[in-house]
Amino acid sequence: MGGAASQLPKEMVSEYQELTFLTKQEILLAHKRFSELQDRDSLSSRVPMEKILTMPELKSNPFRRRICHVFSTSEPNDGSLTFEDFLDLLSAFSDSATLEIKSHYAFRIFDFDDDGTLDAGDLEKLVNCLTGDTDETRLNPEEMRQLIKNILEESDIDKDGTVNLSEFQHVISRSPDFVSSFKIVL
Amino acid sequence: MCSDTVLSEPELVADLGKMPIRARTQAIRTLPMSIDDKRTGGLSEKHYLENLKQMRLKPLASSFIVWVSQSFSRCHSSMATYRTLVVLWLGSLKEIQAKFGTAVLSYFLFLKWLLMFNFFSFLVNLSFIAVPQLVHGLNRTSSVSFRGLELLTGAGYFNQTVLFYGGYNGGVIETQLEYNMQLAYFFTIVTYLTVSVLSRSMARSFQRNVVELGSVTGTVSLLFCSWDFSVSDIKAIQSHKARLSDRTKHFSLHLVSWLLSLVLTAGSCAAVHFLCQVNLKVSELVSEAATLLLPVVVTLIILVVPILFSLINKMDPFPSPRSVVYITMLRNVLLRMSVLGILCYYWLTQVPNKIPCWESFVGQDVYRLIVMDFLLSALGFSFFRQIECGKSLGAPEFDIARNVLDLIYGQTLAWIGMYFSPLLPAIQIIKLFITFYMKKVLFSFSAAQMETVFIALLFFPSLVGSLALVAYTIWRYILKPSLQCGPFQGLNTTFQAVSVWVDGLGSKPGGPGAVWVFRNVIQSTVFFFLSSMAVIILQYFFWQAILGQKQHIGSLRKQIVSVSLFPFASRLRSLFLSI
Repeated sequence: MGGAASQLPKEMVSEYQELTFLTKQEILLAHKRFSELQDRDSLSSRVPMEKILTMPELKSNPFRRRICHVFSTSEPNDGSLTFEDFLDLLSAFSDSATLEIKSHYAFRIFDFDDDGTLDAGDLEKLVNCLTGDTDETRLNPEEMRQLIKNILEESDIDKDGTVNLSEFQHVISRSPDFVSSFKIVL
Repeated sequence: MCSDTVLSEPELVADLGKMPIRARTQAIRTLPMSIDDKRTGGLSEKHYLENLKQMRLKPLASSFIVWVSQSFSRCHSSMATYRTLVVLWLGSLKEIQAKFGTAVLSYFLFLKWLLMFNFFSFLVNLSFIAVPQLVHGLNRTSSVSFRGLELLTGAGYFNQTVLFYGGYNGGVIETQLEYNMQLAYFFTIVTYLTVSVLSRSMARSFQRNVVELGSVTGTVSLLFCSWDFSVSDIKAIQSHKARLSDRTKHFSLHLVSWLLSLVLTAGSCAAVHFLCQVNLKVSELVSEAATLLLPVVVTLIILVVPILFSLINKMDPFPSPRSVVYITMLRNVLLRMSVLGILCYYWLTQVPNKIPCWESFVGQDVYRLIVMDFLLSALGFSFFRQIECGKSLGAPEFDIARNVLDLIYGQTLAWIGMYFSPLLPAIQIIKLFITFYMKKVLFSFSAAQMETVFIALLFFPSLVGSLALVAYTIWRYILKPSLQCGPFQGLNTTFQAVSVWVDGLGSKPGGPGAVWVFRNVIQSTVFFFLSSMAVIILQYFFWQAILGQKQHIGSLRKQIVSVSLFPFASRLRSLFLSI
């Protein structure tokens, strides 16, 4: 089949190895999976968000759209990813990524309105993502308010009503589950 | 994309330039910037190496330094790729994480860690204790030949080998250096056990998980950390979602269920105590196979009573799945500890008075317990538990906790028995190795598939085996039916009943035909040979027909795919073909 080159040049692979947490094998596998997603007829190297969301690793993840938006470098941020954005995504979610990188990106993923802090609206959307869309699993407004109040009590250290990046990183660093659950492996 | 770096970019680049290469690479990776931003900001390694070249060094020296640093970093990264080939089970572990999530992965990681632990202890014991004794010659006072039963009971032929305490004599071995066996035995075991307690990896994981866990309360951890990003199986995700929003409260039933479980535990302890007394009397009669009774019953108790516990749980809805797991684990641990306690009391106070070489006997008892535990739990009960657990709420965590408890129980037995049987870790290694592959298969089976496996197991070994046994009993001329009892008394073989009857038929009308058929068809071997050949050939033809149909299905599937992707093209083609 014709189309994009199927081999990555060696200097690019070693450059990616230096700049990300991925190993050579992971980079080559990512290249293979990304080329499968690419549309052979279109000239641009960006893959639209809908195609990225068909990947099995992201398909059933409740935060898939937020993940695409956070890692996308397109100008009107439409969630489309180039190959380098894809590598950034895999690097942040890889085995060897540090806690700081993971918590940084987790914060940006959970920040639904992109204002740099997690306020009550962001937390409410977060809870709704996790509990699902059907009526019986959704929390009622009273329970939601109580839950958000509990979270802010525990994580908001300067009591300004929002959780900023340092407070988030502080609360995450004390939880041993985070690093192991914040992982996507191809 | 905005970057959150505190320093401005030129300062950042300069700071990073002062670090050694490895630290710099790691620092660059940790920066939360996209690859493009890092490259345009001048952070790639090429940029730093070019700076190095511009320093006032002789061209040869600078290019040499560049070459050395590049080859070191390349070597280091290629080591990472070879690691996947060499480290045990790395591919299987990744597969398990993708299919079942991180919790199940933690069980398998624990299993692997235990295996490494046992391997290390086996090597230590082998080299310091067993090999010197083997070199010196074994302490044989009686000669018993090897029968198959030893693998289960550990007695008999194994009694005098290096496997058990009794096979060692405490002399000083005179070779180049004096090697004192007594000191070697003592210090190896004691040092090994002490070092295990102080083991650094255990302390580290204890610190990480228990000490830090206490400081984060449930809600925040539940919200930010509970979602497992690595699970890509949609059914697992849906059940996880259902569990996150589950909340009910009951209290009065707790007390009743606790009382019931305590009663069950006490009952099993009493049963074990009684059985220990019986076991002592039996072994005085020197009957080897009967020594298997105690291990079998103890293992059965440990496997069956938790099932009763879970039945008690069902009548008593708990506030959260997590407390179900904790309480059930507590009950199981209590049961196992009390049973083990009774066994230890029996081994240390009652056995030494009644049996010569009691250390070997205890070692053999532990060996039997380990083997029975493996056979019964791994082969038998895993199937049953999988079906039973699959039907209850909050199933997967429950299952992992119980499996981990099994591993811990097995390891406890190995540690208890190590003084009496230095090479016991070898058995543990074999057991853990087989358990890994079995659990991997079992975790992926659903309840319906398990029932299919059950039925297949019932049919093939069980039914067919029994058929073969009955056929052998009836047909062979060696097994003469007993003279004093039974319907076939007086005959040479069971089958003679039929042949005598057929002979009697010869006198009746139409009889000779039947007799001829009987003599030349049913009793002739040529007939059976020909019919088996015919059946085999027919099967072969059917099998080839199935293969051909599979290929046909495959090509039809490809056609469907191509037609749906290019409907226009297929319509054009059919248009052209019709012209």
